[in-house]
Amino acid sequence: MQSLTLSFLVIFALAIVGYVVARSRALYVADGDIRRLVSLPSQHALNVAMSTAIPPLAAILIFSLYARLTDGQVSWLAGFVFIALAVTGFALSMIGIKRETRARNLAERWIMGLLIFASTIAIMTTVGIVFSMLFETRNFFSQYDWRSFFFSTSWSPNFRGDSALGILPLLWGTLYVSLIALIFAVPIGLFAAIYLSEYAGPRLRSVAKPAIEVLAGIPTIVYGLFALFIVGPGLRDYFAAPMGLGDSALSVMTAGLVMGIMLIPFVSSLSDDIINAVPQAMRDGSLGLGATRSETIRQVVIPAALPGIIGAVLLAASRAIGETMIVVLGAGAAARLSLNPFEAMTTVTVKIVSQLTGDTDFASPETLVAFALGLTLFVITLGLNVLALYIVRKYREQYE
Amino acid sequence: MEDMYHADRATSTMQDIKISAKNVQVHYGDTHAIKDVNVEIADKTVTAFIGPSGCGKSTFLRCINRMNDTIDICRVAGDILIDGEDIYDPKVDPVQLRAKVGMVFQKPNPFPKSIYDNVAYGPKIHGLARNKAELDEIVEKSLRKAALWNEAKDRLDAPGTGLSGGQQQRLCIARAIATAPEVLLMDEPCSALDPIATAQVEELIDELRQSYSVVIVTHSMQQAARVSQKTAFFHLGNLVEYDDTDKIFTNPEDSRTESYISGRIG
Repeated sequence: MQSLTLSFLVIFALAIVGYVVARSRALYVADGDIRRLVSLPSQHALNVAMSTAIPPLAAILIFSLYARLTDGQVSWLAGFVFIALAVTGFALSMIGIKRETRARNLAERWIMGLLIFASTIAIMTTVGIVFSMLFETRNFFSQYDWRSFFFSTSWSPNFRGDSALGILPLLWGTLYVSLIALIFAVPIGLFAAIYLSEYAGPRLRSVAKPAIEVLAGIPTIVYGLFALFIVGPGLRDYFAAPMGLGDSALSVMTAGLVMGIMLIPFVSSLSDDIINAVPQAMRDGSLGLGATRSETIRQVVIPAALPGIIGAVLLAASRAIGETMIVVLGAGAAARLSLNPFEAMTTVTVKIVSQLTGDTDFASPETLVAFALGLTLFVITLGLNVLALYIVRKYREQYE
Repeated sequence: MEDMYHADRATSTMQDIKISAKNVQVHYGDTHAIKDVNVEIADKTVTAFIGPSGCGKSTFLRCINRMNDTIDICRVAGDILIDGEDIYDPKVDPVQLRAKVGMVFQKPNPFPKSIYDNVAYGPKIHGLARNKAELDEIVEKSLRKAALWNEAKDRLDAPGTGLSGGQQQRLCIARAIATAPEVLLMDEPCSALDPIATAQVEELIDELRQSYSVVIVTHSMQQAARVSQKTAFFHLGNLVEYDDTDKIFTNPEDSRTESYISGRIG
C-alpha cells in the first residue's frame, strides 16, 4: 500500500517538475527566442509530463490486473520499477528537447493513446460483464438442468434443495408489464411529440417540452410509491373489483401504467427531435399538393422519421424490460403465469434482486440462477436491438 | 384600322385572364413585403417574375396558392381571383385550392418514397382515381408530360430520392401535374440544376404551356427571356413593370427595369 502510494506521488511530482523544467529548457535551447523552436515550450512541457507519467501508470494498471491486487500489497521492487520507468521517460524526453524536435506531434500521439485507452475501458467492461455472467451461468447449469430452467412453468426457490427455478413465469411477467407500458407510452408520447413539433406555437413548445421532460427526472422509486399508494388501489376499486377480475392492489396493470407514464418523456422527447429533423421542404411539398396537415404528417413526416421513432420506442422497451423498482411496488413479487392483467406478477429483474439479497450461499443454484436470469435478459434486449436495426435499415425512407 | 382592332380583340379573348390580383399587400410581421400589386395573368401562358433577391416575387407567388397561410406571421390583404373567384374568400378551402394550383419548389423535394408513390401521392389524397388501373394511368400520363417516363418506367419502385437532380425536379413537376391543376407555380425551379437539366426543364415548361397557366419565378433573366411570354419585374415589394417579355427585354418603360436587365442594379 505504502509503496504504491509513494510511487504515485513520485510519478506525479516528477511529471509536474518535468513540465516546469521542460519549459525553461526549451527556452534555453532556443536562446530565449521561441521563434527558433519548431514546437512551443508548453508543447515540450506537455510531452515531457506525459512521457513521465503515462508509461508507469500503464505499468501499474497492467501489474495490478495481473497480480489481482486486491489488498494493495506491492513489493518495494515493483514500486522501484514504476519509479524507474517514470525517471527513464523523464530523462529521455528531456534529452529530446532540441530546437527541431516536433514536441507538438509527440504530445498529440500521447493524447490519442489516452483517448484509445478510454474507449477500450468502455468496451472491455462490457465484455468483462458478459464473460463473468457467462462463467457464473455455466456454474448454474452444471448444478441445475437447463431444460427445467427454460421450459418449467413454476418458480419456487427454497433452501431444501428441491427448488423449481423455471424462467417462464418471470419472463412472462417482464414481457406483460413492458407490453402494457409500451401500449400506454408509445401512442401518447408520439402524439405529444407530433403536437409539439407540428402544431404547437413556439411559446407553448418552450414551456411544454421541458415540462414533459421533468417526468424523466423523477426517480423510479417515487413512481413506485405512486403505483403502490394511488394507482394500485384506484385500479382495484374502480376497475378490477367491479369487473370481478380480482381484488389485488398489486397488479401487472398498475406497474404497466406507471411504467408507461415513466416512458412517455423518453418516447416524446426523442420523437420530437427526430420529427423536427425532417426537412421543411418535405412538408411544403406535401402541403403544396393540397394535403392537409395531418395527411402530411401521416404520409410524409412520420415515414421519413420512422427509423428514429423505432429507435426511440426500442430505447423505451429496454428501459421497461430492465425496470425493477416500479415492478416491486406495483406488481409485487409473486411469480405467476396468468393472462389477467389485474393479478400480481413479477419480473426477471425483481427476482434477480430477491435471489441475491439476504443470507445467501453464493455457490447454490438458488443464487447462481440470478446470473442465468441476467444473461437471458441481456440476450433478449440484444436481440431486440438487432431486430430494430434490421427493421430500420430495411424500411427506412431516406431523405437527403 | 378596322382589321387591327379585330385582331387585337381576337388575341385578348384567346388569352383569357386566369389569375387577377388587385391591390395585394403582404406583411411579414412588421415588414411590408408586397406593396399594392396589381397583375393579370393569362391562361396557357408562361409568366415570369423577375427581380433582385428579397423583392417579393416568391412571396407573391406563394400568395397564389395560399402557401403563405402556413407561415404564422404572414398577413395577406387585397384580392386574388382565379377564374373570377376570390381565393381568399372564407368559403375557399386552401387545401382544395392547392390541388388546383400546383407548386414546384426551388430545391427538388421528392418524398422519400418510390417514384410511383411520389406521383400517386396527390391523386390518392384527392381521390382522383377509382381503382389501381386508373391510378397507374394517371401516374404514367403525368410522368410522360414531365418527360420522365422513358427514364423512370423501368424503376417506378425505386426511391425518388435516388434520381439525379434534374430528374428529381421533373419528378416534382410530374407530382404537381398529377393532381390535374389549372395553374402551375414554379419557384426558381432550375436554380439547383446544372445547365443540361435546366434546358430539359425549360423545354418541359414550354410544353406545359399548352395545358396550364405557368407562373415562374427566376433569377436568370436569360431564362425569363427564353421561356416566358409575359414578364413582371418586381423591385422592393413593388410591381414595377408588367408586359410582354419581348417588350420588357428590348424596350422597358421604367428606368428601374432597364437598370436591372442591363445589370446595373440587383
